[in-house]
Amino acid sequence: MSLVAEAFVSQIAAAEPWPENAVLYQQLKEEQILLSDNASSLAVQAFLQMCNLPVQVVCRANAEYMSPSGKVPFIRVGNQVVSELGPIVQFVKAKGHSLSDGLDEVQKAEMKAYMELVNNMLLTAELYLQWCDSTTVEEITHPRYGSPYPWPLNRILAYQKQWEVRRKMKAIGWAGKSLEQVFDDVDQCCQALSQRLGTQFYFFNKQPTELDALVFGHLFTILTTQLTSDELSEKVKNYSNLVTFCRRIEQQYFEGHDKDSSASARSSKGYLLS
Amino acid sequence: MAAPMELFCWAGGWGLPSVDPDCLAVLTYARFTGAPLKVHKVTNPWRRAGAQDNPWPHTVPFIRQKYNADYDLSARQGADTLAFVSLLEEKLLPVLIHTFWVDAKNYVEHTRKWYAEAMPFPLNFFLPNRMHKRQLQRLQLMWGDSCLEDEEELEKEMYREALECLTLLSQRLGDQKFFFGDSPASLDAFVFSHLAPLLKARLPNGKLQQHLKSLQNLCDYCTSILSLYFPWDGGEWPGLEPRLLLCWAWGRSQ
Repeated sequence: MSLVAEAFVSQIAAAEPWPENAVLYQQLKEEQILLSDNASSLAVQAFLQMCNLPVQVVCRANAEYMSPSGKVPFIRVGNQVVSELGPIVQFVKAKGHSLSDGLDEVQKAEMKAYMELVNNMLLTAELYLQWCDSTTVEEITHPRYGSPYPWPLNRILAYQKQWEVRRKMKAIGWAGKSLEQVFDDVDQCCQALSQRLGTQFYFFNKQPTELDALVFGHLFTILTTQLTSDELSEKVKNYSNLVTFCRRIEQQYFEGHDKDSSASARSSKGYLLS
Repeated sequence: MAAPMELFCWAGGWGLPSVDPDCLAVLTYARFTGAPLKVHKVTNPWRRAGAQDNPWPHTVPFIRQKYNADYDLSARQGADTLAFVSLLEEKLLPVLIHTFWVDAKNYVEHTRKWYAEAMPFPLNFFLPNRMHKRQLQRLQLMWGDSCLEDEEELEKEMYREALECLTLLSQRLGDQKFFFGDSPASLDAFVFSHLAPLLKARLPNGKLQQHLKSLQNLCDYCTSILSLYFPWDGGEWPGLEPRLLLCWAWGRSQ
């Protein structure tokens, strides 16, 4: 079954309502999925929950290759396939659901800027840790990434992906960074998010937006995924309002809901938020 | 004791003190803070040892140790700075690279022409092309992950996001003099350095440029910074003794 199809988000007919059988695809959550993909997937799941749109999470080993843009997660709604949070937000908006309609222009600008901050710093730091830190690469990434495939395909795919990611790191100037510098960047990013959040429940007013979903996806995943060291999660734990924020969103949107979504909020090696 | 620093950067053109956004950002930041900086305009990149892309994150923190433009900002404004810098780097910068270096008409009739005229013989025969290839590669790595997508669609999407980014900047600036009130901060240096080349260069194919020109507050913002801080159009700083050599690629070793 091939799900590869081009999705032109702006041209999609908004006439069809959200179906009951929408599906979100990601890699296998117990053995295969990595930190960054898990974070992205959780962000999309949180966003859809916040919009009150039902979606079923399905795990496939080749999810990355099925995706129209090569990135996970992607959703199949009716006969359309859309990947990544940005396009999914637009797609959902075209169907008449939006979390950020109540924001004024300046707030929308800030929301977009903070979302880019998370993508620019947190996501890149996760990718760096996964693919450029040799300990993590050997102990976690390589075994997990190629796990559904037989030898030597598992090794070949893992090395190919690693090469791709490292080239990208070089292009954006992260290749020369040390692990300590990357952790400092994470700390800076968390500090900025913590200051922006302050004592509010959500980043903007009393209602969550896609920014909240994105931040939750990344921070929750960082807090609950066991890596070779705890340093990354410690950086986030330094900011108590961010931890409280994650706990609140988890309780409100994932506990007591579909078992599938809440189970996918924790990786098999993870531990509950203490 | 603070010793004045020396900065090697690309020469000026099109009415700007430097044509390169990164160099311009460092220059502007130094002007905002009044940091003593002796500027050497070069047109031969091989004179700079180990020249790398993107010196901003390495050089500015070094200057900031003694001359801090963000001193008066609140914690929240500091966070906003980080966020808007990320927005520009993700959405605007790739399209700026595309506009100047990849778009065929612009590259041949404007960018390559300027660099070829500025560089000494025989570098002007092959260095512009080498830079072009490097920028193309950089762009492909930043944006080329979506290998299944049609190139034209990708370009349209990129430009749409960059136009939106410019509009967002305009909305955020409003009718203020600078992004955080009446005095300039590092965010202003960063934004100015990316908008000014786009505003000033005479590009044959200027889709992005036209959109920028339609945002009056951003144009006024750039023009006012240029007239306030670079009134000699990139002329030399009033007399300073060079004692410490700072090549902007070495800044990161500090």
